Amino acid sequence: MAIVDKKLTLRNRNKILVGVWEDEDNLLAAATALTAAGIHIHDIYTPYPVHGLDRIINARRSKLARIAFFCALIGLTLMTTMIWYMSVYDWPMNVGNKPLRFTPSWSPVMFEGTVLCTAFGMSFFFFWRNRLVHGIKNEILDIRQTDNRLVVAVETTSNMDEKAILTMMRKNGALELKSFHKGVQTILK
Amino acid sequence: MGHGHNHIEVKQEQFVFSPKAKRFSIILMIVGLVFAGIGIFTLGGSDNSHAQKSSNVNHKTESLSAQPHSKHDQNSGTAVSQTKENHLIGEESHGNEPNEKFGPRMVFRPSEKPASTHIWANLLIVGYFFLMISLASVMWYTIQHVANAGWSVAIKRVPEAMMTFIPIGFIVLMIALYFGKDEIYHWVHYEHLGLKPGDAGYDKILAGKSGFLNSTMLFAFPTVLVSIYYLLMRKLRSLSVEEDTATKGDASFFKRSIRFSAAYTVLFGFTMSVLVWFVVMSVDAHWYSTIFGVYNFITHWVTSITIIAFIVAYLKKEGYLGVVSNEHMHDLGKFMFAFTVFWAYLWWSQYLLIWYAQIPEEMAYYQLRFEDYKFNFLLNFLVCFVIPFLGLLMRSAKRNRYVLGIVGSIMIVGHYHDVWLMVFPGIFGPGMQFGFLELGTFLLFAGIFIFWVFTALTKRGLIATNHPYIEESVNHDVGV
Repeated sequence: MAIVDKKLTLRNRNKILVGVWEDEDNLLAAATALTAAGIHIHDIYTPYPVHGLDRIINARRSKLARIAFFCALIGLTLMTTMIWYMSVYDWPMNVGNKPLRFTPSWSPVMFEGTVLCTAFGMSFFFFWRNRLVHGIKNEILDIRQTDNRLVVAVETTSNMDEKAILTMMRKNGALELKSFHKGVQTILK
Repeated sequence: MGHGHNHIEVKQEQFVFSPKAKRFSIILMIVGLVFAGIGIFTLGGSDNSHAQKSSNVNHKTESLSAQPHSKHDQNSGTAVSQTKENHLIGEESHGNEPNEKFGPRMVFRPSEKPASTHIWANLLIVGYFFLMISLASVMWYTIQHVANAGWSVAIKRVPEAMMTFIPIGFIVLMIALYFGKDEIYHWVHYEHLGLKPGDAGYDKILAGKSGFLNSTMLFAFPTVLVSIYYLLMRKLRSLSVEEDTATKGDASFFKRSIRFSAAYTVLFGFTMSVLVWFVVMSVDAHWYSTIFGVYNFITHWVTSITIIAFIVAYLKKEGYLGVVSNEHMHDLGKFMFAFTVFWAYLWWSQYLLIWYAQIPEEMAYYQLRFEDYKFNFLLNFLVCFVIPFLGLLMRSAKRNRYVLGIVGSIMIVGHYHDVWLMVFPGIFGPGMQFGFLELGTFLLFAGIFIFWVFTALTKRGLIATNHPYIEESVNHDVGV
């Protein structure tokens, strides 16, 4: 589970300090300590959901719900237009002498079309936003973040005490410390 | 909120039924009684006006007499002349009414039913409604067990208290059935006539159903079913309270609860429809719908969850349930929202298929409700689906107990009105209104329900402190 931030291309960012954890209790303690010290955590990469992490690092609520709503509106409009065109405008269809205008029998088509567009739209936007589109090379800070390691990324700024951050990470049980800048990884320990 | 593996010692709480809440429930009962009294008092007057109004509408009284106790007059001259007269009225006013070609349709004028029918019919729906709510709360409880759900453990004493209302709902239902069956169900009345094939007024459909749909079964089936539900409920309740005093970490009660829960879930899921067929669907005995049982279940299921949310919100407001947070309210809100949509799905499925197929014997149900009860029919969809759907759509709405309270109140009354719309047009024909008597009966029993359930809440600790999943429930977090 990656908690996504706005700019996803890590190589276009400042130098990033990377800490690797094995145990989620230590990770939670580290994240709490870092946030309490006023340090903004860029993101945390974990292979499974860690409860409470999103609140600690003040992650924003996902905007996927809004995308779902707009996809639903598009789907509804599309399907209503389609069925109106097919069974009223292009070839007026007489089924059991039911009226031609908007009828309850349209509702399954409208509903299914809405659901279809919402599901596909949400999946597409989710993959696109997470850079899981074919052809895009991802920058994985530590390959084990998809396996059993928990990885914290802190983006440095000019007025940041890097040493203090690294000490804090180490004190809270980080197994490894690395830095990542312009696509180059350096192991610090 | 604790995070991760914080070990929390959960404190037991003891609910006290405050004098304020007691006063509120008693006031509800008194207001209900007064409203019901006004309703009964005005029955005669309103009936006349209905009769006048309804003379414009086609009321074709079938060869069965409208007077339940006039069975001996059935084959005599008076009944024949009555039928003729009605036939004439029908020809005069609405000769081209579609019913004419669709054949038998059981329609009575409200004025043709004695006042007692109104009372029995109201007791029937109120007893049925609260019985089904209590049974649905058991279902909710057992599903939590079968699904191995951890989040709901902190609030499990609320459905546990609601379950105790089963006998009251059942007794009220049985009283209504015992005294009012001849007036409520036209097939019971038909049964007394003892007609043979070839007799005037012989009804092939009712005769064909009489092996199942007869007065013996009407009492036998619900009694047997509810007795089994009741015994399982008692067992689940006792397992839960025994767990409190057991040694710390003893999961045997929980494991046994799962077994009994599985039994109840399967049994109730399969047999609940039979209860619905006898009590509600047989009001329109010529008509049938295969989805009716599920539709009734979902009506009471969503109401039951709303009431659970209400009681949890009340307990939170009074400072109880310290371990319950907005996260739990959010999940209850999701339950309400999800099953509101499911209610609409079933409501619409039943309507859509009947509308499309246009088979006369299926349409009779909606013909009456859509033509003569258009306002109630559309209002039903508005209060049971549109308002809860829009009201609970937002995440913030589900996490706000005041929004839940407002939307939930509309839903509870709306679903009671839904049951009313299933039963009353079938008994009385066109021209009924959801009036003082209906509202009064509902308020009276709402008061009794609150009194009974809150008393049951005081009987045991408010939190299942010894439950294996209590810690998971305390740490429940649905995320940002």
